[in-house]
Amino acid sequence: MAIELRDVRFAYAEAPDKPVLDIPHWSVPRGEQVFLHGPSGTGKSTLLNVISGLLPATQGEVLVMGQALNALSTRQRDRFRANHIGYVFQQFNLIPYLDAVDNVQLASHFSNQRQSAPSREEITGLLSTLKLTAADWEMPTGRLSIGQQQRVAIARALINQPELLIADEPTSSLDQVNRDNFMAVLLSMAEQSGITLLFVSHDMSLSGFFKRVDAMTELGAREAAH
Amino acid sequence: MFLKLATQSLLNRRGSVLLTVVAMTVGIFVLLGVEQIRHQAKDSFANTVSGVDLIVGARTGSLNLLLYSVFRIGAPTNNISWQSYQEIAGSPNVAWAIPISLGDSHKGYRVVGTTGEFFEHFSYGRQRKLGFTSGKPFASMFDVVLGAEVAAKLGYGIGDSLVLAHGLASTSFSLHEDSPFTVSGVLAPTGTPVDQTLHVRLAGIEAIHAGWPQGGTARRETGKADELAERDPESITAAMLGLESRMATFQVQRAINNYPKEPLLAILPGVALSELWQMMGLLEDTLRLISVLVLAAAVAGLSAMLLASIRERGNEIQLLRVIGAPPAFLFLLIQLEALLISTISMVLGAALLALCTANVADFIAYRFGLQLTPFTLSQSTLYMLVFVVLLTVIAAAIPSLHAYRNAKLSARH
Repeated sequence: MAIELRDVRFAYAEAPDKPVLDIPHWSVPRGEQVFLHGPSGTGKSTLLNVISGLLPATQGEVLVMGQALNALSTRQRDRFRANHIGYVFQQFNLIPYLDAVDNVQLASHFSNQRQSAPSREEITGLLSTLKLTAADWEMPTGRLSIGQQQRVAIARALINQPELLIADEPTSSLDQVNRDNFMAVLLSMAEQSGITLLFVSHDMSLSGFFKRVDAMTELGAREAAH
Repeated sequence: MFLKLATQSLLNRRGSVLLTVVAMTVGIFVLLGVEQIRHQAKDSFANTVSGVDLIVGARTGSLNLLLYSVFRIGAPTNNISWQSYQEIAGSPNVAWAIPISLGDSHKGYRVVGTTGEFFEHFSYGRQRKLGFTSGKPFASMFDVVLGAEVAAKLGYGIGDSLVLAHGLASTSFSLHEDSPFTVSGVLAPTGTPVDQTLHVRLAGIEAIHAGWPQGGTARRETGKADELAERDPESITAAMLGLESRMATFQVQRAINNYPKEPLLAILPGVALSELWQMMGLLEDTLRLISVLVLAAAVAGLSAMLLASIRERGNEIQLLRVIGAPPAFLFLLIQLEALLISTISMVLGAALLALCTANVADFIAYRFGLQLTPFTLSQSTLYMLVFVVLLTVIAAAIPSLHAYRNAKLSARH
């Protein structure tokens, strides 16, 4: 399993009696592409933070790639996240004053997944695959269009060859054309590398891109469909 | 990558960073500048007179004697008789003696009556003898040798004639008008009170006062000065002594202090100078305190700037966390940014000081009689810079801890 949650509860310290998450069991097999939808306020972001190890579950077991996150120290979780999980957000995916190449390189800086730091050629190759031209590589990413920024974000998320890619509303700032472009690139790259993709959005129109569609509201109520 | 992230981040906020650098640079400039001036004022002060083993005057406080004989500040309480001077100067332990007679002035600059020995034996700094920019020591009774500042400020050159005034006020009503002096030489700048002094022969002083009632300011009644034969003065104000052997200093000092015929005082210039400097300690500490406060204000500004930046960099911190940066990385990143700013400021501050000391040294020497040597990295400067670094690290700890805590708590909503 790429992700497995068992009896996971999470409540913020300010409101310990109101669990934001209460999931008896939910899992995603390796290599699967899952669309998880739900209106805002249903705990999507919290769930992603728990899976990525930024927030420790209040109760229960969170396994990512077979590794129980509870068993790791904060430092180890940071390292685990850098090594195994790629992340794409709706916005603020990049350090705006670094150029695309540096942003991608920075992501590899915290990972020891690879033997050596990725070469410039490797990075620019990846950026080219994502339809970013040489002119875009060396300007501060803050000056790129949102569509371009999101594609750099994919490169940044993939550079460490993660097993799991989490996308959190990555298309919400994009227009129709850019959105379709982005989805096509993201899905094909995930497929090529056999990466498990957890795609979270409130936009049901995207569900057509996925074979498996889960509703956030149902996670707490039932056993996962698979 | 770490360094690149820090420098790019600073460049991205170059406006506020630049202002912080300016404030820090000023702070460091003041800190180093005050230290430099303090150090050199002390040196310059201690260098006012050297090679003189004892200063002899009428019995008074040792600081008073030092002030009027060397710094030309204040007025002597009493004179010493020419006879006593002759006896002391002639004693076997004394190698040379310079008599000093004060009391007259020229346009606010004091006049010293002395002998040719003065140019031969008086030294300042590290045993540097007086040098002449032009001309030569006084030869005739009405020759005058000018200090560098006197010549420059009043625009006198060799051969010019000038009139001395009785008393020390800058506008005196009793001028020695009937006996003008001729400039025979101009001394090289020394950065000591010598620059502000006119030197004439003892005989000249005697001559212009001949016929004046003792202690009075009435018009002289008889005779023309230049018609008077050269004669020994009755008394002088003080004397500087050089001894045959330093070993004899205390022995001679005791002998003079116990001189039976009149009450005399002999002081060691070095000892009296350091006593005087100690009295200035409070001023010194105040200057230091002010410079440290200026720096502290600048460093507090640095801290505030970084703290504000943390607030606007919430997304950046969150992002770094997501790609695996541990909270300690954030702490160190902010510290590095602070250290980069303070390093740039230290380089700029030191460069600015070096530039200033190189360019205004002449002006300061001329204006304040303070010899500034160009700024160099001394050991005490290095300590100062280490102090700046420590201060930066401490001040940056606040925003750094803030970033660290943000990073620990960070969870995207």
